[in-house]
Amino acid sequence: MAKTQVEDINRNIYDIKNEDEYAFKMQKGLNREVVLEISKQKNDPDWMRELRLKALEVYNSLELPTWGPDLSELHMDDIATYVKPKSKLNTSWDDVPEEIKKTFDTLGIPEAEKKSLAGVGAQYDSEVVYHSMKEDLLKQGVVYLDMESAVREYPDLVKEHFMKCVPVNDHKFVALHAAVWSGGSFVYVPKGVKVDIPLQSYFRLNSPESGQFEHTLIIVDEGASLHFIEGCSAPKYNKVNLHAGCVELYVKDNAYLRYSTIENWSKNMMNLNTKKAIVGKNAQIDWVTGSFGSKISMLYPMSILNGEGAKTEYTGITFAGKGQNLDTGFKVIHNAPNTSSVVNSKSISKEGGSCTYRALVRVAERAKNAKCSVSCESLMLDDISRSDTIPVNDIQTDEVEFSHEAKIGKISDKEIFYLMSRGLSEEDARAMIVRGFAYPISKELPVEYAVEMNNLINMELEGSIG
Amino acid sequence: MVSMEILKVNETPVRTSRNFKINNIKLEDVVLPENVMEFKGLQVLGASKIETEVEVGKVTYGLGDVMQENVREMANSKIRITASQNNEDVKLFYTLDDENTALIHYVEIVAEKDLNVTIKYSSSTNYSCFVNGIIKIIASGNAKVNVVAVNLLNETSHYFVSMENVLQESSEVQYTVIDLGAKNSVQNYYSNIAGEGANNELKAIYLGRENQVKDMNYIAELYGEKTNVTIDVQGALKDSAKKNFKGTIDFKKGCKKARGDENEYCMLLSDKAKSIALPMLLCTEDDVEGNHATASGKLDDKEIFYIMSRGIEKKDATKLIVKARFNKILERIADEEIRNEIVQEIDRRLD
Repeated sequence: MAKTQVEDINRNIYDIKNEDEYAFKMQKGLNREVVLEISKQKNDPDWMRELRLKALEVYNSLELPTWGPDLSELHMDDIATYVKPKSKLNTSWDDVPEEIKKTFDTLGIPEAEKKSLAGVGAQYDSEVVYHSMKEDLLKQGVVYLDMESAVREYPDLVKEHFMKCVPVNDHKFVALHAAVWSGGSFVYVPKGVKVDIPLQSYFRLNSPESGQFEHTLIIVDEGASLHFIEGCSAPKYNKVNLHAGCVELYVKDNAYLRYSTIENWSKNMMNLNTKKAIVGKNAQIDWVTGSFGSKISMLYPMSILNGEGAKTEYTGITFAGKGQNLDTGFKVIHNAPNTSSVVNSKSISKEGGSCTYRALVRVAERAKNAKCSVSCESLMLDDISRSDTIPVNDIQTDEVEFSHEAKIGKISDKEIFYLMSRGLSEEDARAMIVRGFAYPISKELPVEYAVEMNNLINMELEGSIG
Repeated sequence: MVSMEILKVNETPVRTSRNFKINNIKLEDVVLPENVMEFKGLQVLGASKIETEVEVGKVTYGLGDVMQENVREMANSKIRITASQNNEDVKLFYTLDDENTALIHYVEIVAEKDLNVTIKYSSSTNYSCFVNGIIKIIASGNAKVNVVAVNLLNETSHYFVSMENVLQESSEVQYTVIDLGAKNSVQNYYSNIAGEGANNELKAIYLGRENQVKDMNYIAELYGEKTNVTIDVQGALKDSAKKNFKGTIDFKKGCKKARGDENEYCMLLSDKAKSIALPMLLCTEDDVEGNHATASGKLDDKEIFYIMSRGIEKKDATKLIVKARFNKILERIADEEIRNEIVQEIDRRLD
């Protein structure tokens, strides 16, 4: 059977670069002065400045991970940690500067907002340039703000939750994030309020040799529900860019949160992101994740099931092509009785790309009657790629039902032959099988995003098969 | 005896996050013997060609430098078995007693023809004994090697072993590991499946009780075309026993049409027992088939209830179910005497 042969794909709209124009770009590198300057630019309250400085110390004291992809190409001395775009925060797209607006237009964000979203936040480099939410949600007390405004307007709520779900010393890049964070979104859904239409934040990194460190903090109060979508992309440069965002989610008792991500960073991006959720009694968090972009990703969303009867589902797909090393997976801690988790992970590797599913399931002694089932499937599209599965299952009680299964292999020749006998070309047959493989994930996404994901898959496969 | 603060051994071939506490095992209660006497507790049965002047061979992974060096420098029992024609079954029985409390050994099996080997470790003393060893098998020319390794040491002892197999074209190595004894039992198993059409099977049983710690690091690397590996592990943990199972199947580039299956099942018989599993699949070849599955949990209440409804006590019902799961693996042991001894030990330890 023919194998994948073609060089890098054309990522068309995602690769459109704007001039590197900015109101302020921080000197490259990381030290106390840089952190203090960011803090000054942000007009931080004292506690936040102190937190940043403490985080910098932690960053300096921690070593790089001794496992996972090689991060030696990342030099913090070459990264500008803060790039302020030539735009203030706007609530109308008409006020967003033309060049920046054009970028988001091309990505279809304002269009999606009109059609199918209840609110949108758009970040360009280090700052949020647009934030808006439908009137009726505002009336119900839903808060959807850029993170900086939230620090000012909801100081107690933010202080109580900021870097509490993800502790500063969790790992080196969390500490980095806490020291230089900028931008991101804050959502608060009051008790009992159901937000039926999704909110979306989109993160675009345009500036070369820079980093994006947005902070997302979402609190879904008791009995409330929310679907939040996160999108990200960047044009490709020759030098390394860094993304070290942090997502903290609090899903209170009986609440529901669905957190969907379509990640399409350019292939010079180091994506060292951290996401965690604390889930209360009978509450549920569902993660839906599509990882397509970046040069290196290390991303393992985590659900901490602290409340009795809490649930979580993780549905993720990773697609690694030439030059990509995507180390992703899921962590779940069962910390209370009757908790349950379902994990469904898929990965596709081609043209020398490397996919790793790295995971942790921990069932604590008190988590009686916990249930957990994990399934991961890996598809290899050629013999120069790599696919690894590295799951840790730590079971500390006997009252548990736990199972894990994984499969690895290629597209079966029989399936291709069958489809070809029905009149499909080999190329179409392969693309159809890959889309079928990804279907359980794409069906979990809202239709526009499922379409985007299918387009991404088509783009990845276009001309590269046959 | 020289005291060592913490012995860190049995590294996985690929590291993962340190917070997951599985990359290696740290033992605080083990001391390596400083000097040892010749080991006099070995009984050899049935071997036609045996040498004792043997150089200790290297192992690829093993338990780590400290443990390898310990065998290289201090081995008090070395043996090489060569099977070049039709051979009698070989039995190596290592018995530790009051006089022989440390066994540091090397076993090399060079098989060009079929061979069955049984290796048994037991202790006739209550002293804490120390066992460290390397068992190396080189199989070639259609040879089918069948090894049964049984650990029945007392529960104050420490048991360390590195098993390594090199499989050349069309050879077959079938390993059965029965791990019941020792306070700490730490095993490294590595198969280099290089030859086209070579086939490797590892079937293992572990049973932990009280404060026993089991650390298994089973690795198979498939290089040759049409090679096969199966790793099947069945275990049960009672009381506060702890086990780490690390299983790796690594499909190397070029192992077209290879197949690897890995399965681990842990029966938890107490709410204090701790089970960690890391079943890895690593793959750089597309034309392969790899599967792994692990599961753990307590025994099915319905099954226990059913057996009890037939007039059997709960404790015995539990035993029956555990033994039934173990039985598929135990059946592979042809030597009835050894098999009965193992079954009796399992019974005793489940009481």
